[in-house]
Formats: sequence, structure tokens, C-alpha cells
Amino acid sequence: MVDKPQLNPETGSGLDDLRNAFEGRLLFSEADMEPFLIDWRRRYQGSALAVAQPASVDDVVKVVRWCVKNDFYIVPQGGNTGMSGAATPDNGERNIVLSLARINQVRAVDTVNNTITVDAGCTLAQVRQAAEQAGRLFPLSLPSEGSCTIGGNLSTNAGGCQVLRYGNARELCLGLEVVTAAGELWQGLRGLRKDNTGYDLRDLYIGSEGTLGVITAATLKLYPQPAARMTALATVDSPHAALELLGLAQQQLSASLTAFELISDVCLELVAEHFPQCPKPFEDASPYYVLLECSDAESQAHATECFEALLFEASDKGLISDAIIADSIARSNSLWALRENISEAQAAAGKNIKHDISVPISAIGDFVVQTEKQLLSQFPGVRMVVFGHLGDGNLHYNVSPAADLSGAEHADAFVGLQSQINKVTHDAVAAVNGSISAEHGLGVLRRDEAARYKSPVELALMRSVKQALDPHGRMNPGKVLPD
Amino acid sequence: MKILVAVKRVLDYNVKARVNSEGTGIDLANVKMSMNPFDEIAVEEALRIKEAGKADEVIAVSMGVSQSQETIRTALAMGADRGILVETDAELQPLAVAKLLAAIAAREEPGLVIVGKQAIDDDSNQTGQMFAALMDWPQATFASSVEIDGEQMKISREVDGGMESLSMSLPALITTDLRLNEPRYAKLPNIMKAKKKPLDVMSPEDLEVDISSRLKTLKVEEPEQRKAGEIVGSVAELVDKLKNEAKVI
Ligand SMILES: Cc1cc2nc3c(=O)[nH]c(=O)nc-3n(C[C@H](O)[C@H](O)[C@H](O)COP(=O)(O)OP(=O)(O)OC[C@H]3O[C@@H](n4cnc5c(N)ncnc54)[C@H](O)[C@@H]3O)c2cc1C
Repeated sequence: MVDKPQLNPETGSGLDDLRNAFEGRLLFSEADMEPFLIDWRRRYQGSALAVAQPASVDDVVKVVRWCVKNDFYIVPQGGNTGMSGAATPDNGERNIVLSLARINQVRAVDTVNNTITVDAGCTLAQVRQAAEQAGRLFPLSLPSEGSCTIGGNLSTNAGGCQVLRYGNARELCLGLEVVTAAGELWQGLRGLRKDNTGYDLRDLYIGSEGTLGVITAATLKLYPQPAARMTALATVDSPHAALELLGLAQQQLSASLTAFELISDVCLELVAEHFPQCPKPFEDASPYYVLLECSDAESQAHATECFEALLFEASDKGLISDAIIADSIARSNSLWALRENISEAQAAAGKNIKHDISVPISAIGDFVVQTEKQLLSQFPGVRMVVFGHLGDGNLHYNVSPAADLSGAEHADAFVGLQSQINKVTHDAVAAVNGSISAEHGLGVLRRDEAARYKSPVELALMRSVKQALDPHGRMNPGKVLPD
Repeated sequence: MKILVAVKRVLDYNVKARVNSEGTGIDLANVKMSMNPFDEIAVEEALRIKEAGKADEVIAVSMGVSQSQETIRTALAMGADRGILVETDAELQPLAVAKLLAAIAAREEPGLVIVGKQAIDDDSNQTGQMFAALMDWPQATFASSVEIDGEQMKISREVDGGMESLSMSLPALITTDLRLNEPRYAKLPNIMKAKKKPLDVMSPEDLEVDISSRLKTLKVEEPEQRKAGEIVGSVAELVDKLKNEAKVI
């Protein structure tokens, strides 16, 4: 059943009016709107008058202007795969979800400038594919790439597994096109590596989680496709040993080192339990594993030679006790599957408390050891599910209940410990000058927690940026900054 | 007993094959090459037979360009004892490979030869059978289980509607099916050891084998692109299009 468009008694304007204000699609029935009003992890649910899906940039301008005129709030949304509830409206009645999904054309590829210009609604997979067809690499890669959009990637400054070599979304972006909170179009699609002409507006919009304006297009950096890629999984005794291996790998492989992921044994146990097609690859368990990838510009033979030399030396130095080198793409995919299935395996195992933290790489070893000690002394038996982008100082430091308390009947009690466990973990992060949200942004999930760790000066500066670019607080209210 | 396994260097299973610009074959420049997946299974099976104490030596043999040494090294890293490369830049068709393999078998006198049931590049599915015929050996193709007992061997193979069990005496030839086993990963200590294992390189002339091609490839083309689907507005429109555009009703 389709709800009838209603007139909003307060403003005298409503769905009919909005319907006529732009050309794209307008969704307003409960059923049609449902997927846009709940976040990917199904933790936040909100409400909206309608979901607007503009068909063009001009259309975005029209929708924003309609919201300005009628005093509605705007919640930009891409693929709705964000992890912090930032794309979900609050429970207010004056929200419009602005979905960019239908503005999804690749505008231009320039293989001399090595740039690609795309609409914000293009999925990440689509952009990667367009780059590949032009013989180039767009290196941002996320498990969610089939659904997430470039607009969302830039608004959350997404990371992923190749940040070590190519940087996160921010570092891959040269120019933006933005519809401001006032409904004006800022054309900043410059494909320049150098541009020192004042305040960097692009970098303000990137990572702002839809709270400053609507990104409608971006010019992104392209790289050459590597001639060969190799993946290996090595066993290490401790995060400290992993760090030493990182140093050695960076020295020997330099820019060819494209991924360096730490995985604890608990993670592989969980994966093996919930994904029978992904058994543990070594007969003997090791406390930690490192997944490394190198991308070689020369050849497969050269990649093999460098990679083997690295692992032989690491083994000679006693940093690793064993390793597997994947010699086919299928094998390499199976090694990556071990890493990529951790989140789902953990979800299947029951409730857990997640942290997405980053600390200076030099502090990681001590951080892991100390935090584990503290948590265990306060919450005996809890299990640390530690994995992440070690090469970026970024860990997904998740905490699962003690094995004998992991049944569904204990779930509520465990979730009740969330704020205490968050506090122990995040205090430890703050103590080494780390960040409590490395990749996933603040949204509503980490908004208040982040404010607790920022200085009044930093918060005030952030508020003045918001005030300057969105004086009426129209863009994505309630996200990033606490009220 | 010695076991001879044949390993072929092929375009990686996960790489999308592209026809080269001359239209004479597949473009192999700068693409990932790996061991033929059926051959990985052959190596694994040979290693398991050896580990069960039923063979003393596993020899990995490859034929083709010099880079095929990498494929042999992979087999050595998995655990094979030594390698033989018959090096040539010439095109090798199944009969030529079967003859080369027969020449090596004549020298090495293995009790068992294991090859993949086919290579995923040309999908010929001929080499094993031709080899057995040249040697006048019993053959068990598409094996999904292997059991060795002294001079005898029992094989099961999948056939339409069930399993077939064969029993034969050694020496014999096996071609592997996907179900036979799950090949192991090469581990670091074995990769290091593999560097020191012997790898002999010889030429077809050394073996006095005529490798000239019996078949000629005239042209290689991409399959025709599938046309994009179309969403029709009504049943009447669908019927109309089927009748007048597709002309199928
Ligand atoms: C399985 C899975 C794995 C993931 N792995 C990683 C990972 O490894 N690393 C990582 O960094 N992230 C990861 N993520 C989260 C990641 O942040 C998102 O996948 C992605 O970057 C968000 O894109 P989206 O289009 O879905 O944005 P949405 O979820 O729709 O929106 C996210 C935020 O961006 C805003 N926004 C969206 N589009 C626009 C726009 N055009 N203009 C202005 N604001 C906009 C929204 O308002 C919201 O604040 C993962 C997510 C999933 C589901």
C-alpha cells in the first residue's frame, strides 16, 4: 500500500510541493523508505518525511533549496554502509534523506593526468572497474565496495587495506564538487597535485560525514596497475615482533608493501569455526599472524624474489616462525578471506564490543599488552579479538565475553559493560595520544565519546567551522558534534 | 618407487583471458601465471603417497618456456624432491607433451605418473591418455580416490550416475579430478629448501622427440558480447518485441 502524499500543515508545503521541486525520484511510503531509515548494523532507526533521489546535480541543488526554503533538515546518504550511524536520520519530523545513489556516472578519465572524475553516487567497485578498464588502479578498496559510494567514502574518509601505500580516501582526492548547505554549487573539481590558494575547502568537506554540505562529484587520483601482486601469511609471537617485521618489510619492499594486517589467533579460531571453508592454515597455532601484500611494478619473478628474500631474512632473524606464500590468485583470495571474514565470524559468535582505534605505530605493541592486562583484571575472562591495519597503527580492538558467558542469555549483561569497557580501552588510547575512531567516523556512535577526549579549544574550532559552513544546522543534525 | 607429476604453467584461473591484438592467441604479457589447478592436485596426491611410505621420490616435470621453472619451484616448495624442465619456446600440443613425458618416463622408470585431467588454458584433456597409449600402460582418468597396495592400485572415478572402481597393476597413469584432494600451501621452510633442490633443464632435442604441431590455430576471437537486457512495460510490448524484434514467436 502506498501512503498518500500529505501536506505539511506547519509550512503549508509538503510532499506535493517537494515532488514538483525536482526531477528525480521521491520515496515516501513507509515500505519504500524503510531501508534508508535504518543503518547497516541495524542499531539506529530514524524517520523522515521523504527520501529524495535526485537525478542530477542540478536536482540536488533544487532539493537543498527546497529544504532551505521550507526549513527541513538534510541527511545525505550514499550506500548506507557506514559503521557509525551517520547516514541515518534522527527521529524528528522534518528530515529529508538525500540519497545520491542515482547520480552515478563516470564523468571523465584522464590517463595522462592520472585522474578520474566521478559522480558521488558511483559505487567504489564501479570506480575501481572504470580505472581498470583504462589500465589504471584506483587503490581504495573496502569489503563494502559493491555498495558504498564515492560520496560516502569521502564523507567518512574511508581507509581499508591499502592505506599503508596509497593513503586513505582524503589522500586520493584532488577535487570536489559540493552543493553547500545554502544550496549553492561549489565547483572545485580541480585535478591538481599542487594548489596552494588559500584554505583547503576540499579537506574540510572530506571526513565531515555530511554535516557541512553535499558532495556531488570528485576528481580522484589514479595509479599504474602493478605488474604482480603477492600475498603471504606469517606467524609472529607478539605485536612487538609484528612491528619489527613491519620495519623490515618497509625497508626491503619500500613502496611495494601495500598491506600489512595483524590478526590474532582468536580471530582465526572464530573464522575457522564459522566459515568451514576457511580452516586455520597452520597446524601449530601462533598467538598472532601477519598478512602481507606486495605489489610489484616489475614482474612476477621480481615480486617473488623480493618477497621471498624478505621472509627468509625475517625467519633468520627469528621474527617469524613460519609463513605461507600464495602462489595463485585463488590462494591469495583464501588468505584474504581469513582476514575479511573476521567481522562476520565475530558477529556470528554473539555480542561483542567494538573499538576502531589508532595509535602511533611505535606504541601499538605496549598498547596491546597493557590494555589486555587492564581489561582482564577488571573483566576476568573477556577475550580480545584483535586485528587490523597494523601498518597504519589502526586496530579493530574488539572484546568478546568470556567463553563460558558467551551464550545468548548472557548477552544483555555483557552489553551492559559496554561503556565501562569503552572507557578502559579509550583511556588507554588517549594516554598514548591515539584516536578513538580511526576509520569509521563519529556519526552518533562515537560523537559524545570523542568530545570527551578533545580539548575545549579543538571542539570550539570544530563548532566554528560548522557554524561558518552550515549556520542553520541544516546538514545532518546530531552527527559528529554533540549538541 | 618414483612418481612423476606433470605441472603446467597456465594463465591464472582468476584472470580474465584477453585475446591478443593479432588475434592469434591469448595475451600473456604481464598477467598472473600459476600452476594448473589440476596439477596442484596431482602434486598433492603424489606427496601423500610418498608420505604414506609408498613412494621414495616425487619428480615434478614441466615443459615450455623458461619461466616454467617457477611452476616447478612451486611443486618443489610443496614437497616434490626434484624437478625437470624440458625447455622450449615452441607451441606444445598434447601429443608433443605426451611424447616428451614418455621420453622422460623411459629414463626415470617411475612406477606411477600423475597428471591433471586437463589444463585450464586449452582444456584438451588428452595428454594423460596419449601418454598411457604411448607407454602401453593402464590408465585411470578423472580419479577421485587412489589407493596403492604393493604393485596394485585401486582407483575410483566419477561417471554418469555413480562411481566406477578400477583396479590395475603398476606402472600406470592417473589423471586427477578436482575431488581427489585439497592441495597444501607451500610453507616457508619448504620454500627455502626448494631453492636447493635439483632442477634439470633439457631440450626436446636432448630427448630426441619431434614436437612439431599437428594442429594449426587459424584465429582466436572473443565470444560475441551479450546484448544488454531490456525492461518492457507490459506483456503486450513483450509479445510484440518477441514477435517483431527477436522473431522467436
Ligand atoms: C562490510 C563492511 C566493511 C567495511 N570496511 C571498512 C574499512 O575497512 N575501512 C573503512 O574505512 N570503512 C569500512 N566500512 C565503512 C565505510 O565507511 C563505508 O563502507 C563507506 O565509506 C561509506 O560509504 P556509503 O556510500 O555507504 O556512505 P553512507 O553510509 O551512506 O554514509 C556515510 C556518511 O557519509 C555521508 N554521506 C554519504 N554520501 C554523501 C555525500 N554525497 N555528500 C555528503 N555526505 C555524504 C552520510 O551522511 C554519512 O554521514 C565498512 C563497511 C562495511 C559494511
